[in-house]
Amino acid sequence: MLDFELRRPTSLEDALAMLDTDDPSVRPWSGGTALMLMMKSGVFEPSVLVDLTGVEEEHASIRRLEDGGTSIGALATLASLQFDPHLASEAPVLGQALPRLANVRVRNVARVGGCLAHGDPHMDLPPILACLRGLVVARKADGERRIAVEQLFAGYYETVLDPGEIITAVELPTQTGWDSVYRKTTVRTHHDWPTVGVAISLRREAGLIVESRVIVSAATEKLTRLEAVENLLAGQPSNAALFTRAGRTAAELVETIDDAQGSASYKRVLVGVEVRRALSQILEEGSGS
Amino acid sequence: MRQHISFNLNGRPVSMDVGAHEDAVDVLRRRNLFGARESCGQGLCGCCTIKVDGVPVSGCLTLGLKLDGAEVETVEGLEREGVLDIVQQAFIDAGAFQCGFCTPGFVMMASDLLARVEAPTDEQIKDHLAGNLCRCAAYPEIIAAVRAAAEKRSAHAQV
Repeated sequence: MLDFELRRPTSLEDALAMLDTDDPSVRPWSGGTALMLMMKSGVFEPSVLVDLTGVEEEHASIRRLEDGGTSIGALATLASLQFDPHLASEAPVLGQALPRLANVRVRNVARVGGCLAHGDPHMDLPPILACLRGLVVARKADGERRIAVEQLFAGYYETVLDPGEIITAVELPTQTGWDSVYRKTTVRTHHDWPTVGVAISLRREAGLIVESRVIVSAATEKLTRLEAVENLLAGQPSNAALFTRAGRTAAELVETIDDAQGSASYKRVLVGVEVRRALSQILEEGSGS
Repeated sequence: MRQHISFNLNGRPVSMDVGAHEDAVDVLRRRNLFGARESCGQGLCGCCTIKVDGVPVSGCLTLGLKLDGAEVETVEGLEREGVLDIVQQAFIDAGAFQCGFCTPGFVMMASDLLARVEAPTDEQIKDHLAGNLCRCAAYPEIIAAVRAAAEKRSAHAQV
């Protein structure tokens, strides 16, 4: 790693002021697990890192909102998501998925905000937060806006965040009535980076699927919502034949890419399989009426 | 950037100059502590496991500068007055290694698990140690050692 300056602001305002520059070598830093790899391999050569963990006291909490939703501070560690008692009942999919995300040490330091802002399509958490209909709260020196998680990504390692804009929280609406599942295929170890990640949420009433979110990541250039599959599911009774059709449609429509985790054609097949299996899994395990 | 930092290392206050380019393993090696070893350098293998403020992290993914003000524990801090910790002794008793390169990392992670879960199941042990690699593949003995350490610890607690 080359030389750089580590700045440690103690307020969000100071951090935003330090990041208010067009210089792309000035970057925010939190858990650092991803950027450290890029710095060690010479892919990223920062001049200044702005360490956000000095403001984590106010921005790492996970709390229930008055409307029944949940606010997750951007500096919450992945471990804190995994063990949060409120999320365990509100969005059990998180606690189920996180043990297979990297390892204990990475989860102890990696932050929710960094996981999203990094723009890496291979992450497990963004598709889950997208299927939970999460909103990213983004702030820069001159204001705050909310962006749906599924709209955050502009391309491979690219987000729609402006220079100097940082994620301060993720807000989830109430999950009452919804059931969610995340499935990942790995080609090496159980807790490896996903070759394919599929996150699906369903809202069912009287045996019919009323609404859904079908999200694919890792197989694709960026996190992708498959609205055509959601439309196919809408108003239908949950059954194996429907899920097979949904899987087939997903595989036909998804635009997969080649990488170290597998070829595009292999991933296309896997997307179909995982969409079908995720839907079946919700039917078997889900608590929906 | 070089900065003078101060932190507690295995319970003793230390201060030293650290460069921006140094990770926590580099810093510890300059303190003559070689238990945390950089192996994969990517946070995958666990050989560089240390505890920072009570939480196990990968030393290779931790900026040296970030140790400023922290409570840092390494495998060297586990023994008390020349007597090995229960987990360390359990690894020896179970023969839970061949070359021993990965052992400090496994011992640190196992200690962390036993501090949280009194009697972990094999599944919990495997989950907690999933990010540690033993190239000699002493995994069955490692799991047996953690189980034995848990039993010994709870037997001590009952005395």
